[in-house]
Amino acid sequence: MKSVPVKVEHGGKWVPTTLGIGEDRIRIDAPLDCEIPYKSVVDLEEKKNQVVITAGAEGELVYRIASVEKVLSVLKKFIIIQCSAYRLNAFFMSPAVRGGVLVQDAKWEKGAIAVLKTGIWFVSQESQVCIPIEDVAGIELTSREIQEKNLDVVKIDHLGENEVVTSFVLCPMTTLQVLYNFLREATHDSEVSEEIDPLTGQVAMLVYSGMDSSAIENMLKLSHKDLDAIYERLLGTGLAEVLHVRKEVQLTAKGVRYISNAMKSPTN
Amino acid sequence: MGRILIVDDTMFMRTLLKNILFSGGHDIVGEAADGAEAVARYQELRPDLVTMDVVMPKVNGIEALKAIKAADPAAKVIMCTAVGQEQMVKLAVKSGARGYIVKPFQAPKVLEEVKNVLSA
Repeated sequence: MKSVPVKVEHGGKWVPTTLGIGEDRIRIDAPLDCEIPYKSVVDLEEKKNQVVITAGAEGELVYRIASVEKVLSVLKKFIIIQCSAYRLNAFFMSPAVRGGVLVQDAKWEKGAIAVLKTGIWFVSQESQVCIPIEDVAGIELTSREIQEKNLDVVKIDHLGENEVVTSFVLCPMTTLQVLYNFLREATHDSEVSEEIDPLTGQVAMLVYSGMDSSAIENMLKLSHKDLDAIYERLLGTGLAEVLHVRKEVQLTAKGVRYISNAMKSPTN
Repeated sequence: MGRILIVDDTMFMRTLLKNILFSGGHDIVGEAADGAEAVARYQELRPDLVTMDVVMPKVNGIEALKAIKAADPAAKVIMCTAVGQEQMVKLAVKSGARGYIVKPFQAPKVLEEVKNVLSA
């Protein structure tokens, strides 16, 4: 077991301690003084310079560990390969498309995919990619031309750093359908079941493309009130969330007086 | 900043692209609603770049791309198509496309791709 210095959250504070990383478990020294077998881990989340490990049959044990990227990378790899999750060996390409633009140097990587409670993880020799389940915008079983053959792949659309990213997973057909079903089930909450009228759909498309309210009103010849009503529909169906509320104002008599004075020539 | 010709059979997508490209400081010199019109408008306007929808009536985007490249091998064309038609990439690249964007797209990425192709 290799030991490395880390910080763990204990009693609401970050405390320095030692983490032992073994083949089948990790050991955290005092004050936690515990061992966590990888197979008991049911969830893994990553944040900047820290990971959150959830273990136990009911997910009742939560450990927050902070360290340098190199240590966390080794730790994450051991956990993802052995934890309690739906997992299979696969090829993946992530990201393949960013904001609608194909990533020119995207390549297939050989590794494993694991579907945990809060995230879909891809792990290869070179990289570790986590797609939080709550950021998944679409799962699709589709085909893609790979080495001049049309092969079935699972396509995952997800949000990442304020843009929509597409990733692909490739594995034998026998497991691809199972993976697809599993991912559909894991992301069931974000499926769209409501009927969306064409105009609301167009507004959603423009929001997706980065247009602001003023541009949308101009493009679709909508009044402020009409657009507000469409926004309400998008909010009501959970397709959108409020980014910020912008005020529309008109000047008071005091404001008009200020502007009138400001416009007077200094020579008058 | 470039002089751009937008080719798409839907007015909605043309208007959206026009807004995005205009916000990036580009000059939209013309629009076309099908491949045949695109080829004619290209000859007439000689833009710095064309954004070309793939699926269009009369002459599709790939055919229009080939015709434009035959007339002007240095033409810069970015292909634009819907999700699920990514298979067209290879064909488009083989036919001389410089870039590829997939609908739905996001403004910053489109502007980045246009900038890359214009500066190449």
